[in-house]
Amino acid sequence: MAEITSREESKGYQDYEGNKKWLNAHYDPLASLYTFSQCIALSDINADGENKLIIADLGTGTYDMKLKVYRGTSLMSENAIIDLPTGVVTFYMDLTEPRTPAIAVASGSFIYIYKNLRPYFKFTLPSLPIDEKEESAWIQAKDDLIDVSVLREILDGLRSKGVILTVRSMKFLRLPPHELSTFVTLHKNSPLKMQTVVTCLETLKKSHSEDDAISCLVLGTEHLAIYILDPEAFTILTKIDIPAVPVFLSVNGLYDVDYRIVVACRNGAVYSLKRGSEVKKPVFQLSAQPVGLQRIGKNIVVACMDQTLQCYSTKGNKLWLIRMPADILTMEAMEDKQKGFKGVLVGIENHEVHVYRDKYLVNVIKTEDAVTGIKFGKFGREDSTLVMTTKGGSLLIKMLKRTAKFEEKDATTSSGPPASQQQKLNVPKKTKLFVDQTLRERNNCVVMHQQFQHDLYRIRLEAARNYAESLNKSLNPISTNPQEPLKLSVHVNGIGPMFKLIVQLQNTSLNSPSVGLFLTFHFDSSLYSVEKTLIPVPFLVPGLNYTFESYVECKSDKGISDTIKAYLCRRSSSTPIITGIINMPVSESIIVS
Amino acid sequence: MSEKPPIPAEAKSTGPPAMPPNRPRKAPELPAFERRNWLIHLHYIRREYDRCKILIKEQLAESSDMCEYAYYVQALIKRQEGSIQEALELFQTCALLNSGNANNLKQVARCLFLLARHKAAIDVYHEAAKLNDSDWEILHNIGVCHMYMQNFTKAKESLEQALTIRKNDLSYIMLAKIYLMEKNVDKALDVLNDALKISPENIEILTTLGLLYLRVGDYHKSFEHLGNSMTFDSSNVKAILASGSMMQQHQDFDVALSKYRIASDKHPESPALWNNIGMCFFGKKKFVAAISCLKRASYFAPFEWKILHNLGLVHLTMEQYASAFHFLSAAINFKPKYGPLFSLLAVALSNLNDNDNAIEAYKQAIKYDSNNLFTQLNYAIFLYKIDDKRGAANAFKAAEALRDSMDASKISRDVLDTFKTFGAILQTGQSYKKSEPPVQNQEPARPQHPIRQTIQSPAPDLPTPPSHPVGEQPPSYDMVMKQSVLDSRKDVMEKRGRQGALPPI
Repeated sequence: MAEITSREESKGYQDYEGNKKWLNAHYDPLASLYTFSQCIALSDINADGENKLIIADLGTGTYDMKLKVYRGTSLMSENAIIDLPTGVVTFYMDLTEPRTPAIAVASGSFIYIYKNLRPYFKFTLPSLPIDEKEESAWIQAKDDLIDVSVLREILDGLRSKGVILTVRSMKFLRLPPHELSTFVTLHKNSPLKMQTVVTCLETLKKSHSEDDAISCLVLGTEHLAIYILDPEAFTILTKIDIPAVPVFLSVNGLYDVDYRIVVACRNGAVYSLKRGSEVKKPVFQLSAQPVGLQRIGKNIVVACMDQTLQCYSTKGNKLWLIRMPADILTMEAMEDKQKGFKGVLVGIENHEVHVYRDKYLVNVIKTEDAVTGIKFGKFGREDSTLVMTTKGGSLLIKMLKRTAKFEEKDATTSSGPPASQQQKLNVPKKTKLFVDQTLRERNNCVVMHQQFQHDLYRIRLEAARNYAESLNKSLNPISTNPQEPLKLSVHVNGIGPMFKLIVQLQNTSLNSPSVGLFLTFHFDSSLYSVEKTLIPVPFLVPGLNYTFESYVECKSDKGISDTIKAYLCRRSSSTPIITGIINMPVSESIIVS
Repeated sequence: MSEKPPIPAEAKSTGPPAMPPNRPRKAPELPAFERRNWLIHLHYIRREYDRCKILIKEQLAESSDMCEYAYYVQALIKRQEGSIQEALELFQTCALLNSGNANNLKQVARCLFLLARHKAAIDVYHEAAKLNDSDWEILHNIGVCHMYMQNFTKAKESLEQALTIRKNDLSYIMLAKIYLMEKNVDKALDVLNDALKISPENIEILTTLGLLYLRVGDYHKSFEHLGNSMTFDSSNVKAILASGSMMQQHQDFDVALSKYRIASDKHPESPALWNNIGMCFFGKKKFVAAISCLKRASYFAPFEWKILHNLGLVHLTMEQYASAFHFLSAAINFKPKYGPLFSLLAVALSNLNDNDNAIEAYKQAIKYDSNNLFTQLNYAIFLYKIDDKRGAANAFKAAEALRDSMDASKISRDVLDTFKTFGAILQTGQSYKKSEPPVQNQEPARPQHPIRQTIQSPAPDLPTPPSHPVGEQPPSYDMVMKQSVLDSRKDVMEKRGRQGALPPI
């Protein structure tokens, strides 16, 4: 893999200023993890005082999905997951001793709960309401009251009315006629269901705020709802409808007291849900889709697709905006209780992870690959550990040095003039000659001006003269006469003494062909002899290119050349229609011989 | 809903059902079409488009082309890749699959907008508004479409409506743009000031406000806003150019230059920037550097008459009349009805002993710019010099009338001195040669209407300090000086008197 070959470069990264605040604990370029920040968790799942790293790996994206648990630097266990994992959280679901947190993995329309790394429970999201007519149609089909074609008609009618149908009906409608009845017999006996999909998963403490208090699960679904689940009975405590598909959640507070859930949605709106209130208007609307959402203190920090990190107050006032050097891939909160540090970690496309406290960039970590998953927290027995996964699938674990301090402001941004103010202007230099010429002009400007004007008039006169002459004599290769829309071009091939003249003729009109034309050449007969002095031109179809050729022999061996003129004439007239002037090259026969 | 452990052996297979037909009881679960929407979305927001496309293809195959979101993201990607027509078709498919989603219609309209089919876009937006009538975005976009169709009244209406739903910088900026197109600067200023209240750190608003205040001549406010915008973004080129040109007007060339250094790092090929740098050097009397910079500016923007004007002016100062003539006549070709250019050209021509053409040039200059004191005065001096005493007297009378009609405090003392001396010469006739002292180059009056060419490239006009006089032929000198002076007032560019010694390189 590429990572191995880049080991040497990695030394360069270690010397990087920002990286010095961190100790490298582990680096596994071959971990082949396909995961996101949402699918990474740190928790003491064995209740032995040592935090494990739990990663839901999406495998190849279609199979091989696994729930991986790392203890220290080694892989402790692997559990297969049936469908793609959407999110992973750990939470305390009961008060039994020893206090062992459970792992919840959201996947499809299910939440799988693991305890002690054993499958413990599967929660299925409730089916969405199904249209009555659709349901009755399927019941009738089941009881063989209607045949498949009638069923199909009913369903098709419902769909065209804009009714949202179940997957089964939609599939049914897309089937070719001969497969319809097999499909119905296969499915008619199972209950009709309309399932939704979990899009995000978070936890919310139930009634106490201690670290090991019981937590509820908060999840968002594809069908515009947020559910809060009771951790013991796994019943739905609250369902809140929201206007758009939720993608990122940030949860604060206690369920039994008061809580606030900030939701970023696929349409770029951010909503705020409170206990017992309905959601109508977004708190604020982003200019681009969100890539991450975190609540830091009272502020909401959002990373956006347009390379910006934005901060809003809970009321929706924009507080600040920072532009990033590249696309943002992920964002995670960073809280170090001992140091009293709260900030955000932002993984960006250019292989850097930025640490922001408020709007100040306090640290930049360089990595060998773009970081797509970040988690900061206690790992093993170390409180401030940073876990990162990269696009290429490697796993990096870094620990914050105890001596590390993040300065309030960094040197690169904010205050002070930018470095470029100190640079010298790149003013073009002028030579001594330029100065001399300036002096000369200063002394002789009147003469120079008059001479120039004089010459200018002469050149204009000369140009006008030549132009008039060429018009008179039809010396131009493109006809100016609208009656004869013709174009001529001539090429010379060969190095001499024999040359080949290639004349191309084109009728440029749309639909008036030319007839009765011939080509002839005018040349100095003491210098050249032309094989065909007269070429009759056939009927010229508009638009086509006609090619005529003639050999020319240069009779002189003195290395001189002349021009040959090609005339296109009409039999009835003595002036040519158009003329091609060929500057013959010098015959190279002398050199050859 | 609460079965026992997960990971059951039963096939909740992700792929198509592979059940043997003889066991119809256990029908396979049909996965939801939206099963992987979240994954597509996650990859999309990271711009991992290749991965997205694979996923979309798979999901569309799985859902037999019924997955709205897959189409939606595919269309978004297509649009970002520039195939707007294809994106339009895909969004239309989305709208067919789910006609109740205003978002699909909004995207269709957006594509139409990008394809410059504004009318069609407005129609689709109206459709979308039926589904969601309090959407700021729809109203805003309808306004923008109307703006491009030059339908300003309707545009303003719907933008204002959009603002009642939600205050947003963008709507304010567009509204201000429309007022500017209608040349209603005051209204535009009001709108932008409102915008500033909701978004006090918006650099674009600050910069635009600064430039507008500059245009209406409120230098103080202008400088304040530009300064603010530079505190938020110290390398904002627009603001740097505008504030730099103001510093140049106050002859603060070194500060202006240090700001320009930042700009030149960011936009090394901006003609306006190099023009201003050139004029800074001119103000500092580094003429060779000035010419270098102006020539570079002219290379970047060969058809920009202001740069040519400045080049002409610098060459006049350098007594390179033949070159000055070329630059000025080139400028006149681009800007044929601008008095000060002819006025400068007249000075160049009179120094090239082309009296007939010089007279013509003066006449043109006066025709297009009859209120220019310098042109009138120079004309009088020139006529006197070529022995047309009667013409000189008339021209001088006109100049005096003009002077009297102007605010005396705005005319510099040098000009008034020249009036005095030249008036005396006219009356005494021949004796002028001896009696007249070499006139200093005069300080021009403060420019009254600095003309800024475009918002991005404000060119400075800076007054220059008087240079030391050289004294052989007083009258002709005056002429040049005045001349130069006047041009300066005019636009952008510089004016300046001439100068004897060769400048340092």
